[in-house]
Amino acid sequence: MDRVLSLWPAAWSRQQRSSATMLSASALMLLILWLIPIPLSWAPEPIGNNAQLFAEGTRVTVQLTIVSGVIGVVLGVLAALGKVSRFAPLRWVAGFYVWVMRGTPLLVQVLFVYFALPEIHPLFRMDEFTAACVALALNVGAYNAEAIRAGLLAVPKGQIEAARSLGLNRWYTFVDVTFPQAFKIALPPLVNNVVALLKDSSLAFTIGVVELTNAGSQVKSTSFQAVPVFIATAIIYLVLTTVMTQISDAIERRYDVEGKLR
Amino acid sequence: MNPARPPQGAQPPLGGDTRSARGAPVSAVPSSALITVEGVNKHFGPHHVLRDVSTHFDAGKVTVILGASGSGKSTLLRMLNRLETHDSGRIVVDGIEVNDNHAALDKLRAEVGMVFQQFNLFPHLSVLDNVTLAPRRVRKLDRAAANARALELLERVGLQAHANKHPFQLSGGQQQRVAIARSLAMAPKVLLFDEPTSALDPEMVKEVLDVMKGLARTGMTMLVVTHEMGFAREVADRVLFLDKGCIAADAPPEQFFGAQANERIRTFLGQIAH
Repeated sequence: MDRVLSLWPAAWSRQQRSSATMLSASALMLLILWLIPIPLSWAPEPIGNNAQLFAEGTRVTVQLTIVSGVIGVVLGVLAALGKVSRFAPLRWVAGFYVWVMRGTPLLVQVLFVYFALPEIHPLFRMDEFTAACVALALNVGAYNAEAIRAGLLAVPKGQIEAARSLGLNRWYTFVDVTFPQAFKIALPPLVNNVVALLKDSSLAFTIGVVELTNAGSQVKSTSFQAVPVFIATAIIYLVLTTVMTQISDAIERRYDVEGKLR
Repeated sequence: MNPARPPQGAQPPLGGDTRSARGAPVSAVPSSALITVEGVNKHFGPHHVLRDVSTHFDAGKVTVILGASGSGKSTLLRMLNRLETHDSGRIVVDGIEVNDNHAALDKLRAEVGMVFQQFNLFPHLSVLDNVTLAPRRVRKLDRAAANARALELLERVGLQAHANKHPFQLSGGQQQRVAIARSLAMAPKVLLFDEPTSALDPEMVKEVLDVMKGLARTGMTMLVVTHEMGFAREVADRVLFLDKGCIAADAPPEQFFGAQANERIRTFLGQIAH
């Protein structure tokens, strides 16, 4: 199911095609979120009569993914920079963050943010959705940090030497030379992380966020029909990840100036 | 330390006649030290790469630096814009001391162009963007002005038609010519060449050397680490020979390549010849 959209139309340039794919896949995602109650309502019971609940759950799942995904990429860039920093305390902080978030279960992190943080300080009291976003963002940020760090390390030293010898300062060297190349290398593992994030957002279920898995579970407990309910839930996840990989694939193609992708 | 090196005061007559032979206006440009290197030492671990090296490089002159691999010639070149640090001694380029002062260093590097063995073009940028990046960021040129200047320079190295391509679409020789144009776009006071033709197929060496010869004719100050003896003979005002971290010879090319008294240099030249 990969790259169905990005190979068409053949006559367009690579950049035009990837831009078009990004736009059309994003539009498709919005369309799915908006219109999903319609196909769901055609389905037999117990899906059809609970179409609105499934649709609401789907929207929450996508919201969780987008919010924590965006924050997670920013956190990942910052933590990766921290880990390659020449300033040792920054390396320690970033290293500690990655060590803790990668070394503990996401479920524990979700529960900790929602139940334990408010007990530490009332300022950390958040609603369920916010708490889930915070935990998911912190978690995916740690994995992103490693992906981006790998990208940063893969940029040849000669690139930085060339930039510096032209008189570019450190900031421009990073923004114009290092980061674009590092990001391109880090993109496939980043996409992996975000796809995992979309599925992991189901753990928000445990603190009472009514996302897709929670919605499915509620329908199952009222209808006692586990097979159709969880098949429908899984299919919706699959549709979401498929559309998402179309977008990420198009981004990858946009950066592929050397035409390495087939 | 370096018995073969003539005292510094003995250098002025060095390249005068070769330069006038190339037809450049010599008498109008009084030679002055653009770069001064004083008592510089460098270690890589236990290896003493440069031993108490002192010399200076004059504006408008072409100096070719020769030596066996490991003799410290690239290290010396890379110290001049602080791609390598020196352990002791003093380097002054265009009145700016080369040290860890970052603001001064950025300023200095804007005036000192460098061309690398591996080209080091930015692969994610088009040829045009490779050339315009530094002028736009450092000299704050607007895009239109930077593009116009870049196209002029690309025309000068014979690559105007390739402006919108990406580096991977070009041959090695073409990439190196873009790299030269990229350095020239900053209008540097001196250009450092670190084995610019060593990574090239033989048939591409000439196109790069031709561009470098053209540059030398314009009076550009050039320091060239190379194994191209023909280039040294024809273009250099001065040949520096490094041996085990010391300047073992410092002479005009006709003298250097002529009756060479130094046994090590004779051996080196004999090995290079074939």
